[in-house]
Amino acid sequence: MADVQLFINGEFTDAVSGETFPSIDPATGQEWARVAKGGREDAIRAIEAARTAFDEGPWPKMSGKERAEKLNQIAEGIGKAQQQIAENEVHDGGGTMRKAMLADVPGAQATFQWFAQCAETLPEITSLEGSPFPPSENYVRREPYGVTTGVIPWNFPLLMAGWKIAPSIAAGNCCVIKPASFTSVTAIDLARVIQEADLPPGVVNVVPGPGGSVGEELASNPMVDKTAFTGSTEVGRRIMQLASGTVKAVTLELGGKSANIVLDDADLDVAAAGVLWGTFMHNGQVCESGTRALVHRAIYDEFLSMLVDRAGKMAIGNPLDFGTDLGPLVSRQQVETVERYVAIGKDEGATLVCGGTKPETLPDGLDRDAFYNPTIFAGVDNTSRLAQEEIFGPVLSVIPIDNDDQAVRIANDSIYGLGGGVWSADVDRAKAVAHGMRTGTVWINDYHLIDAKRPFGGYKQSGIGRELGTFGYDAYRQVKHVHVNPQAGRDGHVHYQMLSANI
Amino acid sequence: MKVTATDRAARIVEQVRATRSGRLTITIGTGCCESTAPFLYEDFWPGPDQEVVGRIGDVEVFAPDYLRKLYPGEEGAVVDVDEDYVAESLSIETELGCRLVLRGPGFEARESSACASEPTRVPAVLVGELPEHLRGLRIR
Repeated sequence: MADVQLFINGEFTDAVSGETFPSIDPATGQEWARVAKGGREDAIRAIEAARTAFDEGPWPKMSGKERAEKLNQIAEGIGKAQQQIAENEVHDGGGTMRKAMLADVPGAQATFQWFAQCAETLPEITSLEGSPFPPSENYVRREPYGVTTGVIPWNFPLLMAGWKIAPSIAAGNCCVIKPASFTSVTAIDLARVIQEADLPPGVVNVVPGPGGSVGEELASNPMVDKTAFTGSTEVGRRIMQLASGTVKAVTLELGGKSANIVLDDADLDVAAAGVLWGTFMHNGQVCESGTRALVHRAIYDEFLSMLVDRAGKMAIGNPLDFGTDLGPLVSRQQVETVERYVAIGKDEGATLVCGGTKPETLPDGLDRDAFYNPTIFAGVDNTSRLAQEEIFGPVLSVIPIDNDDQAVRIANDSIYGLGGGVWSADVDRAKAVAHGMRTGTVWINDYHLIDAKRPFGGYKQSGIGRELGTFGYDAYRQVKHVHVNPQAGRDGHVHYQMLSANI
Repeated sequence: MKVTATDRAARIVEQVRATRSGRLTITIGTGCCESTAPFLYEDFWPGPDQEVVGRIGDVEVFAPDYLRKLYPGEEGAVVDVDEDYVAESLSIETELGCRLVLRGPGFEARESSACASEPTRVPAVLVGELPEHLRGLRIR
């Protein structure tokens, strides 16, 4: 039996195949949990459970207030288990306890609380005034899609599970989630909390397993009405294709190569810290990371020195130590990817000014091959691979700019448009730059702050649709227009005569 | 851009062929947790900006315009495979417990799996606690 089982129809269960796979703690290189390896059959039985729960169960018929109570119970349950979930998150996906305790766990809680509020307060029915066909009345009724599926990434496993589950079930849908194979444990922790909240069976199902089978089934199965995905642009394209077979609604939150623009009037002390925060939080394994710093030439040298000086002061080490700034990346393979891009950057002629290696020393027991020093390249050409491809690691490319217009042009010279930052003492100037950036979120004099109440998503090849906010709630609700003609007699139906007076 | 494959990658593609009846295609794509990587799909529709940049057996390898510009000429990339690896992706070979990966120019294909060296022992206990001034803070 696996330590971590699938969660289908309200019960924990092994995979049909009986197969399992290891979860490796990247800090140590050791297997720390064994996870049931779901396959296509498991995905189908989870989808069937969700379909039955939606078509025949009480969940979609419950009031928003009743559903909100359950979501709030889930939020409370996450809070009660926060320490254990945070530790599991660190063992599963690396990072640090500070990240798990300040982003993953409270973020997941806030997500359930926000969508509970949506379910309770946002109207199900909206009247439409001024009917063009009097005396008819018209209204819009928001209804759940039915069965939704979600495929989530490994960088914020619990939080991303929350982003896919909470809005779905708040709106009355039933859902199936596939966590990333590196990081399945906390999605199952969440399933345990959901089970304790006593939701009807089948409302939430969690199926770890390979994307090639489980993910493909969740995106293509005809019983599914909507699918949502966070991850790579290429997989997002594939999910759109698979979903198109039965014209499913799709929400995609994909890659990024975001620009963090530092103007010449910025508070350099705050901006330098902000650029490092924007890049190296969770080792840069964050889709909206500001991995291209576009720095005005007038302050370029001074600013670069500040970045290099401070990057070298971050503490790399035991992720379970609250004093650690940077823990391991998610896997040794991810470190290899970073090494590949560092070599590419050197080949392309960029100047490596900081990092570019694994740490020389680490506390006993840590696997050096899963760690990487914060790395900064200066004088990067925006057309280079270093600046155009998403590395998903602790690598910052610093690019000089001459003026605001050029900064916007360079920022937009990317297939992506997910995040971005502008640093300036003049907020109006910063807003003008922000408004020119073709990207889903821009922070002015800050970075990385995402809240369940605010929309998040991408322009261009960074995605379709928005998660979070009321936008993210409506993404899980169909729009039904109801036309009511209160007049039963023939007088109210003169328009029939466009066809014939004889009917 | 020219993409070739190691023998190991070619063998994986052949294994996948035995499990799928549709037309197999590899596309080189980018973004988020995958970075730039090959993706093996069944009945995939290449986008309008994608062109063939190589073949593994009779499986065509496509890449989009912007990537072809980033990898110009013949200094190609090599599709290899990481074995015993539960990677994320919808790439079909993940069913076999491995992941196709892209080695850039100048990179030798590795002969051993990424987890070949000896694992280390687990530091299992928390050290310290969340600083007082950070309690109650959240960034998500």
